[in-house]
Amino acid sequence: MSARRLPSGGRIDRSQVLRFTWDDRVMSGHPGDSLASALMANGEQVLGRSFKYHRPRGVMSAGVEESGAMVTVGEGARRDPNVKAPMQELFNGLTATGQNAWPNVRFDFGEVNDMLGRFLVAGFYYKTFMGIPPFEWGKGTGAWMWYEKFIRKAAGMGSASREADPDQYEQGHDFCDLLVVGSGPAGMSSALAAAEAGLDVMLVEQDWELGGSFLSQTGSESKNRCADMVASLNNAGVRTMLRTTAFGLYDYGVAGLLERVTDHLQSPDPYQPRQRFWTVRAKQTILASGALERHIAFGNNDRPGVMNAAAGRAYVNRYGVLPGERVIVATNNDSAYHSAIDLASAGAEVTLLDARSTLPGELSERIGEAGVSLRTNTVPLKTKGRLSVNGLELAVISVNGWRARGAESCDAVLVSGGWSPVVNLMSHRGVKPKWDAENACFLAPSRHETIQMAGSAAGYWRAADCELSGIAAGSVAASALGKKAKSLVLPPIGGWDLAIKPVYEVKVPGKKLKCLVDPQHDVTAEDIRLAHREGFVSAEHLKRYTTLGMATDGGKMGNVIGLALMAEALGREIPEVGTTTFRPPYTPVSIGALRGRSVDEHFRPLRRTPMHDWNLSNGATMTMAGLWHRPWYFARQSETISEAYVRETETTRKTVGLCDVTSLGKIAVQGPDATEFLNRIYTNPFAKLPIGKARYGIMLRDDGFVMDDGTTWRLSETEYFMTTTTAHAGKVMVWLEELLQTRWQDLKVHVTSVSEQWAGCAVAGPESRKVLATCVEDASVMDNDAFPFMGVVETKLKGGIPCRIARISFSGELAYETYVPSDYAVAMMDLLWPQAEQSGGCLYGLEALGAMRIEKGHVTGAELDGRVTIEDAGLGKMASPKKSFIGSALRNRPDMTREDRPKLVGIFPKDRSQTFNAGAILCSVEQVSGLGEGWITGVTHSPVMGHWIGIGFISGGHEAWAERTAIAADPVRKGNTEVEIVSPHMYDPSGEKMYG
Amino acid sequence: MVDRISALDGHYQSGRFGTDGDTGVCLQLIRDLQLQQVAAWPDTIKKTADAAAKAAGADEAPAPGGAINCEHGAILRIEPLKWWLVGADALQIDPELGATLDLSHSRTQIRITGPKSTTLLNRLLPLDLRNANFREGVVASSAMHHVGVTLWRSTAGYELFIPRGFALSLWEVLFESALQFGVEVV
Repeated sequence: MSARRLPSGGRIDRSQVLRFTWDDRVMSGHPGDSLASALMANGEQVLGRSFKYHRPRGVMSAGVEESGAMVTVGEGARRDPNVKAPMQELFNGLTATGQNAWPNVRFDFGEVNDMLGRFLVAGFYYKTFMGIPPFEWGKGTGAWMWYEKFIRKAAGMGSASREADPDQYEQGHDFCDLLVVGSGPAGMSSALAAAEAGLDVMLVEQDWELGGSFLSQTGSESKNRCADMVASLNNAGVRTMLRTTAFGLYDYGVAGLLERVTDHLQSPDPYQPRQRFWTVRAKQTILASGALERHIAFGNNDRPGVMNAAAGRAYVNRYGVLPGERVIVATNNDSAYHSAIDLASAGAEVTLLDARSTLPGELSERIGEAGVSLRTNTVPLKTKGRLSVNGLELAVISVNGWRARGAESCDAVLVSGGWSPVVNLMSHRGVKPKWDAENACFLAPSRHETIQMAGSAAGYWRAADCELSGIAAGSVAASALGKKAKSLVLPPIGGWDLAIKPVYEVKVPGKKLKCLVDPQHDVTAEDIRLAHREGFVSAEHLKRYTTLGMATDGGKMGNVIGLALMAEALGREIPEVGTTTFRPPYTPVSIGALRGRSVDEHFRPLRRTPMHDWNLSNGATMTMAGLWHRPWYFARQSETISEAYVRETETTRKTVGLCDVTSLGKIAVQGPDATEFLNRIYTNPFAKLPIGKARYGIMLRDDGFVMDDGTTWRLSETEYFMTTTTAHAGKVMVWLEELLQTRWQDLKVHVTSVSEQWAGCAVAGPESRKVLATCVEDASVMDNDAFPFMGVVETKLKGGIPCRIARISFSGELAYETYVPSDYAVAMMDLLWPQAEQSGGCLYGLEALGAMRIEKGHVTGAELDGRVTIEDAGLGKMASPKKSFIGSALRNRPDMTREDRPKLVGIFPKDRSQTFNAGAILCSVEQVSGLGEGWITGVTHSPVMGHWIGIGFISGGHEAWAERTAIAADPVRKGNTEVEIVSPHMYDPSGEKMYG
Repeated sequence: MVDRISALDGHYQSGRFGTDGDTGVCLQLIRDLQLQQVAAWPDTIKKTADAAAKAAGADEAPAPGGAINCEHGAILRIEPLKWWLVGADALQIDPELGATLDLSHSRTQIRITGPKSTTLLNRLLPLDLRNANFREGVVASSAMHHVGVTLWRSTAGYELFIPRGFALSLWEVLFESALQFGVEVV
């Protein structure tokens, strides 16, 4: 191919020159160029290497269906592989390189694969899994495991950067009455009709210019028509989005769009995202997504210089690039006649091969006037040349198909095998396209749900018909939304002067040809026949076995040909073989766009307590607890985490410790029936809980397993303050709302999450009462008699800070939970901490909190994992036999009351110097295998006992394991450790310290 | 009484940030939020609504999804049986009529104004904010960066109520998104 820039013409801005580099060579182009047109204008022919055979490839199209010129754009961290050169807008400073080749695409050692092609046919990959016969008969895939890496290296496409993506991406939401996809004649006319009828219209276009097929046409009439329509769209208030691809359609008119915001800019605004992922909710949708021109499978039909006929027209008329000087246009339908005429008018010597025997009247006269030579009954058989086309062998019709007849020299071959309407988006809605034999294409229904097809996407081939179908679709959309719109009579589908003659493959007896069906994945016509011979005959199996239509192509180029060849092999018609189900995305969507701003520290929303900064400034090391950031430990000087938490535990048990417990779930339960409500959801009685007292409660699920635990404080006759575990706060809140809204609508109760309203601090240890007494305005409220264990006080901290305090203990010490409105949290800590410090106290974190609760045998979310009954947790006495509550019926099922169920226990290492891990399986000494007898949920060094301890579950509980040794089996970490099973209440079992 | 400390304190910096040119968005932390929830029982909606409206200085309480700016603050219908009183004096009602609850510290209020405020919010919120649909006096609950939020279009602009614990995280996302429009933090 010897493409060249024409001295005039095209929609490029010749007054400006853009410099870019291709494989380290500086080249130039103009604004309005695509990378493909600029490379062609610079005389570049080989722009890529094929996936498997490393065959040289050039530009094959002018759009998203490109399978040849797939390149890598950008460098370093911004290296973006598999960019389709026709879709890359040229900009100053663009850097592009060839891919899947070594040392480069023009001379690639990988081309040896093409010579080994007979061994690399469809399915070779799968067959190697079975072992290489005869060496590996019955042995499996030993050799495969060795050479897999070489195959993976040899085959493929471009490689992404290994560096972190430096760009930002974002997501967006939009709404409209009508979403129009595609801005060709049909898209623009439908948008205009709907907007003029009063709809709010969004028009999305993947190109950087509005116009669709208008852009590829020559002559002032179409240019003016396009410009007029664009102006009318603006006047009508249509919201247009360029460089935006509608990649998927979903339920209820939801469309996924990808907007390429800065991919075309040399120096983008650093605050702009590179790409934007849109979710658009449209009341009506019109798909004016156009049609893709098919190629024909003939010998070496992928050689640089072969492209589809419409692309040739686009390069001449839009970019001012002539694809070749001696051009052969091969067609089986009318559309390529326009390409032949435009190329001839631009100065090329053009020969038109028409597979048909008769000619379309007016068009055949026009090609004569343009100086195009015409041959009927003739098709391309095989291209000649190596890195570019230098000739074409021809075939003519014969009794049994085609027979070879001569060759012509040429430097470009433009092919039109018919058109495939882009029905992909409609297919996303689960609609199966139907084969239209007259037009040799699959068509989607013109209307489904709130979606309409229009223009060539609906099978209209004439521009005027496309406009008419667009206006009709726009009017239908407007009517559907209650606007006045005229109804139109649509022309029949199609519109060619002379019917298409289906030609999918050209083959002649006795001649072996490499005819590419899906060039992007190197699937040949012979691969389709091989799949048939091996029994993969349905469209879905064909795809998976041959990889036809996989990868970024998504079936755009080869699927119809593949189905046609399979139909021929089966002796059936195309619709009997099936259709391909297109799935999103229509074109690739980057992971970056999918993630949007949910990255790095915003990968998940962070939840900070009101004391977050206070904790940090007082030496906290933080850890994640769900979405919460909580203090893990407060190291002093060079303390390790172990040293810190042991000190914090010892200090708290000896004097006093302060711990941020804001993350506990908190729910306001209000209303005249609040008491009755609580009595139904908790296993233990709440009917007689006095005002000013708290009660520990367990709630079960309907199936009788424990859902959550916590304390609930009675603040008044009609108001309670419920606390939940941090882990289950959201779940409990949703559960309570569900009960009230679906089962007990008669109860006058409101539940409201107040987790964010109240900040909490646990004040624990023998000195806790003294510390709090110095911080409240009225110290008498802290008196032991006035404020007994499980008592609740609403009072004020010094400075007038409203506060509510309950005397409850998770640590096993004398302890209080103190809550203030969140904006006063720092003020509370500034009051409490100096007093605690003065008493020799400490701040403690989650690790010390965990250590103390394990010593005490208190359960948390680690134990209440959805498999535990209230008896398993050792809390069976809290299940009232005198009332019904959620879960009370099903908790008594036989399997729930088995004696040998795993029950909560404490665990000591038999050798007290040993340790074991949480997650270890507890087994009997006799059988250290299988599922074991139980499991360990938490471990810690116990300062009180001076050795390692754990908490967990084991069959029958600790009584069943008295005098017996168990094994903590941990085969992938520590190995086995002998352990003793003890009561879970390892510290102060009588509770003297809490009550003291 | 000690001063209240907002979830953004220590991280909130006034000034002009982001891209040059016109300022597209203004963000403003509204401090010392006074927020009280008033909830009715199904058979007391009218009476409770009247009491809530009176507390806010409104003639009548708004319908679901509605909000009214009035003399003593604002009243927002955030659920079929619940209103929020913003900036109004605390209301006490008989438990047989409904329940009131102070939520002043539970949310962080951000006011978003400027010609690009709708565009900015739609980068994060799946709400139809077109004028015809989300005019002044509309309130809605939605999710922003996976967090449940409440958005109200007041006479001043958009008022965004974020759960306090998530406020800083969402503020950072909001601010980063706003930089492309040119943002003034008030």
